[in-house]
Amino acid sequence: MTCTCNDNNESIFLPHVADIIDAQMITSTEKHFKLKLQSGERFDYEPGQIVEAGLFGYGEVPLGLASSPTNGESFDLVVRVLGKVTKALGDLNAGDTMTIRGPLGNGFPVDEFKGEDVLIVAGGIGLCPVRSMIEYILHHRADFGKFTLFFGAKTPHDLLFEEDLEAWRCDSCMHYMDTVDTPDAAWKGNVGVITTLFEKTTEITPATKVIICGPPIMYKFVIRELDMIGVPRSNIFVDLERRMKCGVGKCGHCQINDKYVCMDGPVFRYSEIETLEEAI
Amino acid sequence: MKSYFLSDQNLSAFVEGLMSKYPVIAPVAKRSRFVFDKLVDVSELRLDYDTTILPPKKVFFPAKQDLIHFNKDGFTSAIDPQEQVLLGAHPHDIKGIAMSDIFYSDREYDNNYMANRKATIIIGSSVQNHYKHAFFGTMNADRGLTGHDAFMTKIEGGYAVDAVTEKGESLVALGAFEDATEAQVAAATEVNRKAEEDCPEKLNGTAAEIREKVRNSFDSPVWDEFAEKCFSCGSCNIVCCTCYCFDVQDEWNVDGASGSRFRLWDACLTTEFSEVTSPGGSENFREDRGERYRHRFMRKAAYLNEQLGGPACTGCGRCSGACTADIANPATVINKILEQ
Repeated sequence: MTCTCNDNNESIFLPHVADIIDAQMITSTEKHFKLKLQSGERFDYEPGQIVEAGLFGYGEVPLGLASSPTNGESFDLVVRVLGKVTKALGDLNAGDTMTIRGPLGNGFPVDEFKGEDVLIVAGGIGLCPVRSMIEYILHHRADFGKFTLFFGAKTPHDLLFEEDLEAWRCDSCMHYMDTVDTPDAAWKGNVGVITTLFEKTTEITPATKVIICGPPIMYKFVIRELDMIGVPRSNIFVDLERRMKCGVGKCGHCQINDKYVCMDGPVFRYSEIETLEEAI
Repeated sequence: MKSYFLSDQNLSAFVEGLMSKYPVIAPVAKRSRFVFDKLVDVSELRLDYDTTILPPKKVFFPAKQDLIHFNKDGFTSAIDPQEQVLLGAHPHDIKGIAMSDIFYSDREYDNNYMANRKATIIIGSSVQNHYKHAFFGTMNADRGLTGHDAFMTKIEGGYAVDAVTEKGESLVALGAFEDATEAQVAAATEVNRKAEEDCPEKLNGTAAEIREKVRNSFDSPVWDEFAEKCFSCGSCNIVCCTCYCFDVQDEWNVDGASGSRFRLWDACLTTEFSEVTSPGGSENFREDRGERYRHRFMRKAAYLNEQLGGPACTGCGRCSGACTADIANPATVINKILEQ
């Protein structure tokens, strides 16, 4: 065999242990965790990267890091409580531990965004992984041009990070716009799918760098709007979700053509995958 | 590389010598077919087998493999390689192992496979009887044999044995080997050439032609035509010597306090393979069986063909034999695409 590396039989499946510093339900199904590595080492990563978060006896799930690496010593994850593993994770609270493998994959090319106008389009739980980039931009605000955030949720009850949203609404450093598919009596904002926000702003120009993260159905409709504005596809970055079991390009579940979402993504430059069938 | 001759009469003593030093995994009969299993008695060895139900990948990558053991105090890696001998792997199965070595060492190095692989001495053997679906003579036929330590070819009166590596050479001390004559070496070459020529199934096209044609057939109706009969059972994946996808699961021991995280062979033809849970149900990134069926062929013939320089297929024919609906034969499918 040609490869002689890693002769000490180190395992790519061994995780770090992380202490849960804080855990709050932020909607009826989403739980927001603040974590620190138990080893005391700083968990370093790029905005947009992912981890496999787990609990022994239950399993692991892939999650996007939901805070900026510049956000102090802790890092955030949001778990949507749906299946066996996420239900077990959802039962954890401050003082408990979970396991973390990563960071995995490629994040947003932060340097390429510097000096540029930025639009982030987030649908539903897609706000969690891009929150790492939103916070990064806000922490380095002078490094970026105009910053616009579109956020769409099914109902006002599905809005995540209410405190953040409140702060972003009032923040003169960014242009925050949101919409819901189905309003309640108290909702005073925009109603409709996320693409309806495009007609409400003139700040998106062909030079804008764009990040999209949301449910699978959302991408092509947002890209259609960006095409009409004239944003080149090389300026569009999509953050994709797939089933993942290993996170290290072996198990095959996240494969799209010859790309592994866990290794080559989850962030892809759209021009590099637009011809890949099954991607969007 | 040095060539030796081992007579038929001396084979048993050599294999017993191996068995005294290592666990020896070799082809043995199981009802009407054959399997790779640990030899308990040398008389079980069947080097005249046509094919085995499962490929030898299970020796390094068992169908269920522990990755991590955990208890209330912590967790440890389950990597624990044991020295062993894999005896009697056919040339195309050796090629399949060499491909798996690339999959598991490229980019992220997976010691859960590689440590077992490095601890295994591989002694190949020539094909004495053909499996009725085999087409290894025309699939990756020009791909060199690598990764094995020795190779035995059945010739008149015994075996011509090539010692390929130092480990292979060291095994010679365990048997009554003689230096091979030029005639015996030539006879072995002819036997292996003839084994390729005599394959019952034939594939057309070069590796590059297959890659290009299959890649360009993404929107062809051919996938749905074949997949119409697909039961999505994943048998073709499970018996494949180059399929390496897996699921990862956790399991508690009966004490309720300790357990293991393990991987299980998984199959991209099954409905659940690309499914994620979503509110109120699930989202499936390859929902139609035609898409899943196409993915298997795309992956073997196009995507991994890029990585390997040839299709991720050895022409063993196990998938053809395992498919209840008789739609898995790569020679049939790829030949049809090449004709389009």
